[in-house]
Amino acid sequence: MTHPHPALLPTGLADVLPPFAALEAAAGERALAVFAAQGYERTMPPMLEFEESFLSGAGEPLARETFRMMDPASQRMLALRSDMTPQIARIAATRLANSPRPLRLCYLGAVMRVSGERAGAERQVRQAGAELIGSGRAEADAEIVLLAAKALAAIGVERVSVDLNVPRLAGEVLAGLDLNGASAALMAALDRKDFSETRRLAPKAAARTLEQLIDAGGPVDAAFAAAAAIDLPEAARERIARLAGIVALIQAEAPDLQLTIDFVEHRGFAYHTGVAFSLFAEGHTGELGRGGRYRAPAPDGHDPASEPAVGFTLFMEAAGRAARRPAPTARVYLPHGASVRDREAILEAGHVAVAGLEPVADTAAEAKRLGCAGAWRVDHIEFFQEG
Amino acid sequence: MSVIRLADAEPIRLALPKGRILKELKPILEAADIRPEAAFEDGEARQLRFKANIPGLEIVRVRSFDVASFVAFGGADIGVAGRDVLMEFDDPEVYAPLDLGIGKCRLAVAEPEAMAPTDDPSRWSHVRVATKYPNVTKRHFAARGVQAECIKLNGAMELAPVLGLCSRIVDLVSTGSTLRANGLVEIEHIADISSLLIVNRTQLKTRPRLLKAWIDRFRSALDAQAA
Repeated sequence: MTHPHPALLPTGLADVLPPFAALEAAAGERALAVFAAQGYERTMPPMLEFEESFLSGAGEPLARETFRMMDPASQRMLALRSDMTPQIARIAATRLANSPRPLRLCYLGAVMRVSGERAGAERQVRQAGAELIGSGRAEADAEIVLLAAKALAAIGVERVSVDLNVPRLAGEVLAGLDLNGASAALMAALDRKDFSETRRLAPKAAARTLEQLIDAGGPVDAAFAAAAAIDLPEAARERIARLAGIVALIQAEAPDLQLTIDFVEHRGFAYHTGVAFSLFAEGHTGELGRGGRYRAPAPDGHDPASEPAVGFTLFMEAAGRAARRPAPTARVYLPHGASVRDREAILEAGHVAVAGLEPVADTAAEAKRLGCAGAWRVDHIEFFQEG
Repeated sequence: MSVIRLADAEPIRLALPKGRILKELKPILEAADIRPEAAFEDGEARQLRFKANIPGLEIVRVRSFDVASFVAFGGADIGVAGRDVLMEFDDPEVYAPLDLGIGKCRLAVAEPEAMAPTDDPSRWSHVRVATKYPNVTKRHFAARGVQAECIKLNGAMELAPVLGLCSRIVDLVSTGSTLRANGLVEIEHIADISSLLIVNRTQLKTRPRLLKAWIDRFRSALDAQAA
């Protein structure tokens, strides 16, 4: 057997190097600060849980995406978390069962996915997110969407666009119609906005409605107007009315935030039951985050057995790539033998002090070799000319 | 014909496939009033990026199998790709909102004529298949409990059974004459194929008015042709 090159990592995994690691960490801290400012309290669940508890309730749809291993100590199967939302929901239902509702919790941490969403995609994803548990009101949905947009702005992402979805809407239109097992393929066709495939797979009675629903998607105002003209079942109509209420609340607070609606999208919203959303930024392919309303398991003995919850997750690698990068802090070389006060002077000026560990003949050359933009000279910083 | 002039200056990149599909696409492009610069017509030119009569529009010409990748990763905002390619790549970032009704054919399983009469597909547990579409092939056979071992070829699939690489192939069939010429018969239909207008998902979400205007432009062109 040939040994792999020592630098080779498994598919979908990468080392994050300077300066990106620091930028990513700073972005996470900025997101957490936004959450904290609105009363969301930091929670740190572990990387591993018992498989049965992780994959029950909200975690159930994650089974295919979750790594498992056997715990030699307990001889039980463990799940490596593939999403943090089910962990937060579990904590809310158990250890924080007696905390007053609505409960506002936030988190930052890495999760592992078996496949990633496409070949070659990252399998380790850093998630920063917030969950609002115990309120079913539109105000809660609006708060979560606005919080996600604010966090992206704080990270430095510009031209954010929120795509609002009603994952259960297509199902309601199709409810009661005989699908002859075509439903999975039909749902996939809807997801891809594939008109011709939808027409081929949908029952005659629903095909026209589904096409109209695909077509109605777009900027919010036009989308609501188009949806109003579609003949929809009462339950679907109620879902759209609820979405309209949430949109009004969002627009009242953030009139400049671009909002679009996609009435047929449902992928990635495995556990979502109400309004859901995806976050995008113009010019950056792929989602920066995702969220929506779901049912969290309720504390023991609680009736009903689940409580309303809404939350979101930002994908920090994607958000980081879409963010405007802050100017890096200048590194200044502090020659061997300089005093503590000299170091403090560099730090007070807002720079980074990189200490020399031994005397060198050419201070400037040594400073440049270590990637410093300047060096300490007796009583001041000398910055080098570019090039 | 309704052409949306408002959007004309906004930058947009269209990926078009080389070859057979491009020929069939020409009347649609004309009807949509999309006129690429002259060099685009020159199949020998080394140029890969082209201007057109619309100020914001750039056209890139790539292999038909690559259009979906360009659109999926945002290298192009819109493109024209066969359903066979979309089925093979099945990328969640690609939307396929409009069937252009060109490049029509079907994706099928074929095997040697001599083998077909005695072959009982219900007894298969494993098949070796030569194809350009390993993902579609594996899915198709797995759905009925058969494991497909694929030999990935990029062309001349019909040679594989003749020269003994394997017994079966999965390939595009239009008239069936190539199959016949090589002593093969079509034994299973996988899907009807045509070319679709595809759109990058993020683009549709973040520049919805512009992208919808472009989809409408192609849709109107199809309607104008049909009328």
